[in-house]
Amino acid sequence: MAETVLNVENLTKEYASGDRTLTVLDHVTFEIQAGSRQAIIGPSGSGKTTLLGLCAGLDVPSSGTVTLMGFKLNAMNEDDRAYLRNQYTGFVFQNFQLLPTLTAIENVMVPLELRGDKNVQTRARELLGRVGLGDRLHHFPSQLSGGEQQRVAIARAFITAPRILFADEPTGNLDEENAGQVVELLLDLNQQEKTTLVLVTHNLELAKRTDRILRMKGGRVVEEMLMPVS
Amino acid sequence: MIEYYIRLKRKVLPLWRDRWVWKMAWRDARHNRSRLFLLVASLITGIAAVVAIGSLNHSLQEALDQNAKELLGADIVINSNKPLPVEVTSRLDTLKVPTAADAEMASMVMFMNTKQSRLVKLTALRGDFPFYGQMVTLPPNAYEQVRNGRYAILDETLATQFEVSSDDSLKIGNKMFKVAGVVTKMPGGGGLTSTLAPSVYISLSELDSTGLVQFGSRISYSLFVKTADEKQTEKVVEKIKPMTKKFRYSYETVERRKEGLGRSFRSVYQFFTLLAFVALVLGCIGVASSVHIYAREKREDVAVLRCVGSTGWQAFNIYFIQVFFLGLFGSVAGAGLGAAIQKIIPVVFKNFIPVDLPFSISWTSVLEGLLLGAIVSVLFTVVPLAAVRFVPPLTVLRTESKQVSRRSRLKLIVIILIVLFPVLAATWQTNSLMKGLVFSLGLAAALGLLALVAWALLRLVRRFFPAHAGFIFRHALSNLYRPNNQTQVLMVTIGLGGFIIATMNTVQHSLLGQVEFRGNTNQSNTILFDIQPSQKAGVISLMKDYQLPLNQTVPIVTCRIRELKGRKVEAMMSDTTNRIPDWALGREYRVTYRDSLHISESMLKGEMQHFVKGSKDSVWVTISEGMQETLRVDVGDSLVFDIQGIPLRTKISGIRKVDWPKDPPNFIFVFPSGVLEQAPQIWVTATRVGEGGSASRFQQELVMKFPNVSLVDLRLILSTVESLFAKISVVVRFLALFSIITGLVVLAGAVVNSKFLRIKENVLLRTLGARTRQITQITLIEYAYLGLFAALTGILLSIGASWTLCRFFFEIDLSVAWLALLIVGSAVTLMTMLIGWYNSREVISTPPLQVLRKEG
Ligand SMILES: Nc1ncnc2c1ncn2[C@@H]1O[C@H](COP(=O)(O)OP(=O)(O)OP(=O)(O)O)[C@@H](O)[C@H]1O
Ligand SMILES: [Mg+2]
Repeated sequence: MAETVLNVENLTKEYASGDRTLTVLDHVTFEIQAGSRQAIIGPSGSGKTTLLGLCAGLDVPSSGTVTLMGFKLNAMNEDDRAYLRNQYTGFVFQNFQLLPTLTAIENVMVPLELRGDKNVQTRARELLGRVGLGDRLHHFPSQLSGGEQQRVAIARAFITAPRILFADEPTGNLDEENAGQVVELLLDLNQQEKTTLVLVTHNLELAKRTDRILRMKGGRVVEEMLMPVS
Repeated sequence: MIEYYIRLKRKVLPLWRDRWVWKMAWRDARHNRSRLFLLVASLITGIAAVVAIGSLNHSLQEALDQNAKELLGADIVINSNKPLPVEVTSRLDTLKVPTAADAEMASMVMFMNTKQSRLVKLTALRGDFPFYGQMVTLPPNAYEQVRNGRYAILDETLATQFEVSSDDSLKIGNKMFKVAGVVTKMPGGGGLTSTLAPSVYISLSELDSTGLVQFGSRISYSLFVKTADEKQTEKVVEKIKPMTKKFRYSYETVERRKEGLGRSFRSVYQFFTLLAFVALVLGCIGVASSVHIYAREKREDVAVLRCVGSTGWQAFNIYFIQVFFLGLFGSVAGAGLGAAIQKIIPVVFKNFIPVDLPFSISWTSVLEGLLLGAIVSVLFTVVPLAAVRFVPPLTVLRTESKQVSRRSRLKLIVIILIVLFPVLAATWQTNSLMKGLVFSLGLAAALGLLALVAWALLRLVRRFFPAHAGFIFRHALSNLYRPNNQTQVLMVTIGLGGFIIATMNTVQHSLLGQVEFRGNTNQSNTILFDIQPSQKAGVISLMKDYQLPLNQTVPIVTCRIRELKGRKVEAMMSDTTNRIPDWALGREYRVTYRDSLHISESMLKGEMQHFVKGSKDSVWVTISEGMQETLRVDVGDSLVFDIQGIPLRTKISGIRKVDWPKDPPNFIFVFPSGVLEQAPQIWVTATRVGEGGSASRFQQELVMKFPNVSLVDLRLILSTVESLFAKISVVVRFLALFSIITGLVVLAGAVVNSKFLRIKENVLLRTLGARTRQITQITLIEYAYLGLFAALTGILLSIGASWTLCRFFFEIDLSVAWLALLIVGSAVTLMTMLIGWYNSREVISTPPLQVLRKEG
């Protein structure tokens, strides 16, 4: 039996708006196995980003638990969660989120350097080569196109060989061609590195290429579809 | 479902071993170094000012130490207002020490080349004075000539003013003196002394022949003694000390002069130090406010870093390292600049310094500057950066994630330190906790009030700005209110320098207004002194000949106080618990007698009493308000005066309030008529002299006929006071300039800080069809508003502060120097426009496309 990398139980997130509370996530429960690929889909405002943020420990739930790689996130402080993210996770965002003052290769190296690893250049160079940016190592984000920036972000996400990768609408800001490239990269790397993939997307075509689709609506998982192995 | 919990083994590296943090700090800084530099640039001027003033102090102390003997010109000086009695001189003779002497008095001198005359300080010299230092004359042998004949030399300023050259002569008293040369340097005589009282020097042996030494003339005699060593000095002191009380003279040694000078310089120096310190505090505010914006801008980057695993402290440290090292760099630059400014300082301060200042860099001050800079770079960056630690990582998903405002212990400690910082630093600079506290509170109050005025002004402008004004004007105004624009901080920082200069100008104007003689009122502007009783009728008829009004004819009797409230003044002066100052007890009083109040006077308490002939009772006298406080006497208290050796028992009958500058002369003590008529006395008359030829003809004839009568032109005093102020204000302006420059640097930083926001706005405007010309106009007008508002803030507050100072400290009416304020206001506005525009050039010229890329 495959190892459980992420366990979500009765996850609830509420926001106080004025005098009433707004329930954004309502008792969500699921489990994700190592190496699998998940897509979270659903209408705007259904709570996808909120769920992803909670799973990655970027935010704290109102109730319920998130267990990532066996660590119960609720019990940890912010810095410990940061350490956990560095050890086991990778991120790709809709708006890329590269550090504007760092070059492409420096952006990619950050997570490993944070660990205190030495000689991370080679790995960063190799990864940038794999995403097709071998000749743009020393360019700053402002000198790269949106698609290129997203590929740098992917290289950064994979440099730590994360056990689980969170991506929030990674193709949302890209045209079709670039979006295609990015999707292929994500799936390839997932295959090669055995990374678990958690994708939030509006793109059904992309969702269909995963193992499982969770459909959300009004803060609940309303449907779970297992895809035939492609 | 298995539920287990594993403890994480996260190791925390200390800052200095966390290589990643240092690497990130460097990488992040390398591409906008110029911008980061502006974060701390406002420190430079502040540190420079503090270092420059500190260095000045050190070299001044050093120079005083080295030249102390030159300041006095001798080892001991004995001062008296009578020639020293033989009892004293014979004692000195037994010691066989070389002596020199001088006698100083105010006298009229007529410059024969132009027949103009002026009241000067006449100094009659004997012997080899100065023993130390050098009297520099042109030609060099001029003093030799003076010693051996009827020659005079005069201060350079005087010679220039009256165009005197070497073949001219001066009429001093009854005699003519040939001019032997000019004095360019006199030991101990600073620039201020010669401004206040320019001197003419003659030989002491010629003084009697001038006929100036008459009854009632005030002459101060000094005897200069040169000793072989400290021991001999002590011996001399031993000899002369016991008789000081008896013969009413005082003496000064080099040590005492040094202490006295040191003390007076210290207070001047402390005042200047605090002015310099204002610039530093402004710099701190500048640093804090720009680091605050910087931290806010870095929020998203921090969120990304936290997302990939950095701790809050690591993120904080990245930016802290940057600003700290930049702060150090700024301090080094500031200390360098301050040391360089040393070169200018002797020029600016030359009127305050009686000795030549060597150009030397004081490493103590430089170190102090660096230390201050380091402290400031920690204190004033930690608070604004503290927010970085708590940026929620969720920001990567939702930009406007709410920041949980957390109170951290670090921040609290630092805030306490920040509050203490100015108090401690000012205390350190002035060596007085009280001064440190007063200064800090004063500065805090000034800043608080400036902030308040700025806030009110901004609200009022917003409220009442004409709605139908042109688009450009309205848009430029609304730019001032953009979020995070720091408009108020800028108004305060730019306004403070303007505030200092404007306050100084207004107070100066008000003080001068006091001395000024207004329009067509018949107030006296000329006073004739030292008229002997035998000359009185002649002087009055001369005045009549020239149709001059005889505003006052007043007798003056000189006397001293012998007993106060039943106690002998000698006893009081040697009593250390006595709180009445010695100068007030021992001085000579010039009193008059009359039975009515003068127009400048009013009774505060009691009344003027007439003298009843034949009465055996005490004489009733009135005293002026200020002296009544100094002498601690009240109505009914008794006083015994010594009038030329004859005791006179009196009682205080009333206290007069005297408006001193109004229609002089005015008096401390006024006796009733019928008592002093027979006492030796001199007369004073007051009149109003017009401009032009008849005035100077009168003066000529007066000096010719009555050479011992001194004519004091009050207008001349006015111009003297004016030039004195001019000299002080050079220094104040010089130091206030540091504050203004600091304010402008803060402005430059803020402009660059808001660059991206402003580029976005401009692109939007361009997309909507604005042309470059319009965008330039909007930018210029925006900074014109800012400058104007800042200047207004400073000026408004300065009027309030000046009013307070004039009303309660100087006790005079406020008179606002509108022209000066207009100049200050326009200068501040123009500079602000210039700095704002200069730093916005890139913003104005950026083409829209580039911005869209940057957004990407
Ligand atoms: N801080 C907050 N306070 C109040 N409501 C919030 C807050 N953050 C999110 N929400 C609400 O939670 C709901 C879910 O938001 P979320 O961003 O998770 O939706 P989403 O499914 O990611 O939508 P989209 O597809 O548009 O990205 C929304 O209705 C949003 O308004
Ligand atoms: Mg979303």
